[in-house]
Amino acid sequence: MTETTVTSPGTPGGPPGTAGGTGRGPSGLRLARFRDLALVPAILLLVVVGALIEPAFLSGDNLTNVLQQQTELSLLVLAEAVILIAGKFDLSLESTVGLAPALGVALVIPAASNGLGTDWPAALGIPICLLIGVLVGAFNGLLILRFKLSAFIVTLGMLIVLRGLQIGFTGGQNLFALPDSFLYLGNARWVGLPASVWICGLAYAIGIVALGYFRHGRSVYAIGGNVDAARAAGVRTDRVLWTVFMIGGLLAALAGLLMTGRLGSVAASQGNGMIFTVFAAAVIGGVSLDGGKGTLFGALCGVLVLGLINNILTLAGVSAQWIQAIYGGIILIALMLARVTSGKAQD
Amino acid sequence: MRSSATIGVALSALTLTLAACGSSTPSSPSASAQGGSAAAGGKIGIDFPRTDSDFWNSYNKYVPKLAGELGVDLMPPTNSQNDVAKLVSNTQALVSQGAKAIVMAPQDTGAIATTLDQLAGKNIPVVTVDTRPDKGKTFMVVRADNRAYGEKACEFLGEQLKGKGKVVEFQGSLSSVNGRDRSEAFAECMKANYPGITVFAEPTEWEGTKASAALQTRLTQHPDINGIYMQAGGVFLAPTLQLLKSKNLLVPPTDPKHIFIISNDGIPQEFQAIRDGQIDATVSQPADLYAKWALSYAKAALEGKTFAPGKTDHDSTIVDVGGGRLEDQLPAPLVTKENVDDPNLWGNQVG
Repeated sequence: MTETTVTSPGTPGGPPGTAGGTGRGPSGLRLARFRDLALVPAILLLVVVGALIEPAFLSGDNLTNVLQQQTELSLLVLAEAVILIAGKFDLSLESTVGLAPALGVALVIPAASNGLGTDWPAALGIPICLLIGVLVGAFNGLLILRFKLSAFIVTLGMLIVLRGLQIGFTGGQNLFALPDSFLYLGNARWVGLPASVWICGLAYAIGIVALGYFRHGRSVYAIGGNVDAARAAGVRTDRVLWTVFMIGGLLAALAGLLMTGRLGSVAASQGNGMIFTVFAAAVIGGVSLDGGKGTLFGALCGVLVLGLINNILTLAGVSAQWIQAIYGGIILIALMLARVTSGKAQD
Repeated sequence: MRSSATIGVALSALTLTLAACGSSTPSSPSASAQGGSAAAGGKIGIDFPRTDSDFWNSYNKYVPKLAGELGVDLMPPTNSQNDVAKLVSNTQALVSQGAKAIVMAPQDTGAIATTLDQLAGKNIPVVTVDTRPDKGKTFMVVRADNRAYGEKACEFLGEQLKGKGKVVEFQGSLSSVNGRDRSEAFAECMKANYPGITVFAEPTEWEGTKASAALQTRLTQHPDINGIYMQAGGVFLAPTLQLLKSKNLLVPPTDPKHIFIISNDGIPQEFQAIRDGQIDATVSQPADLYAKWALSYAKAALEGKTFAPGKTDHDSTIVDVGGGRLEDQLPAPLVTKENVDDPNLWGNQVG
């Protein structure tokens, strides 16, 4: 996608095109597209290995499980990928996954079930949850864009603050008594697939189209590539970045909502530690930590790779002592495979 | 990769800073204990291991209450949030504030050893709750017999399933002594007594999401699974019930499709699930006894009392776990439909 960034209007100061993208005509274009698919061979290999290890792997039920178990992670990766492409960081997403649904639930359930005692109408729960996500993103944006603080440290601080707020508001309790609206999205099935899978599919489709073909989406790449050049070219960089942070918060709250529904409770540690997996998936999927590079399709492939590995390790019954070592090892192999098949240096 | 390293460094730097701040901040509920009669020997410092689980929240509530009843001069408790680095700095802060005895619950049982040595050097007796440090001097370890949890779960499932079937086990973190003890005892008992039962041990690191994903996958692979052992009800109960509900497997014990479930912890939600016929049993981990005996032993240490291995006056056994280290193994009752309404269970005493 770097290639298209360079040729897109309004980014004269963008990074120079990498070899192969420009000036090679149709074949170069095809090769560029192929690089989006760098992880596909790894995914195919995992599918073959999975099928060999356990025949039940290829059953529709099992593959649906893999997709459903990855929905929350995939929404976080979508959010993080867009933010990384814009050249920023957001570590606080994992805490939003816990705080947003926890507050949404605590404000509407009675105090007897560990609620806050406000007893607001249950219909407000989900809007509150999503609103909190947006507010967190907006606050991150305020600190980073207005006060010019480092995105890394701001969101690291927010990660801790938000988790602390959740524990403070709920007194560290898990929330068990959930309104039905919270359970619905995590459990419903639409046309044979879990609702959460449709939601994620839709979110990625919108993201891919927006980043690929819309002016604001393209400007995210421009900002991540060279923010000064983008500004000089007339992109309202702060406004775009602020929007990106708010969308990131919204997606994290949505992920929290789905996870709450699927697990039937809001754990005090919900989402804790997820951010490392989020970064792993994004980077395996080819999103650069330096900004301006990577595709959402690639990030989605990264999520699928991690999900398939998890599933295969469970099916194979790998012993608890070794599972982490094998998990990490397979990720490294997948990365190498992607490097070999795409021929592109990773960063 | 470099960025992840930076994340790590920054994270640990930040947690250290926070720990430093946190160590001097007293938690609120202790104020009531301050008025208790100043016992002989001086103040007792206590560190809570975490505030994000129902079990530990109950323990945290029992401590100031029982301190008042026992007449212990309790200092404002600190909270180490499941982080051994914070526990170390909290302990140092408590000592510098004048603690003569320390009660702690180190969740990382290896890394606390040097701190224990330092405290021993200052003649400050330490009582640990729930976990037994791998090394280092302790006055007393107050702990339920976690191997018994695994054995009770194994016997219960073995009997209910009549020695045949497939059982999913949600293992706790194997880096914690409690997760290890429960997993080992369960595995040994199953192997010795019920060879007809296949056990699928799922590593979960005490995380509900991992347990849910593993169970979902396993049920697809083996739809005839008929037993589940979860090593911590607080984290696994809701995800398990939610998943079984969505698969229409949450049926009463009389139905042949019923999956027999035994849990560990004894929180109120588990009791409710037992009453509703959703799960079959749990082993109640005694939060109240933990608080009571931890404080009692700390007080006794200051009064110069000593203890020897053998039966105690409160239905438990003090055992020498090696090197002269004593451990008071408190009883952990099995709770089933028959005794779930027993008012003596701590899960029935919390609101």
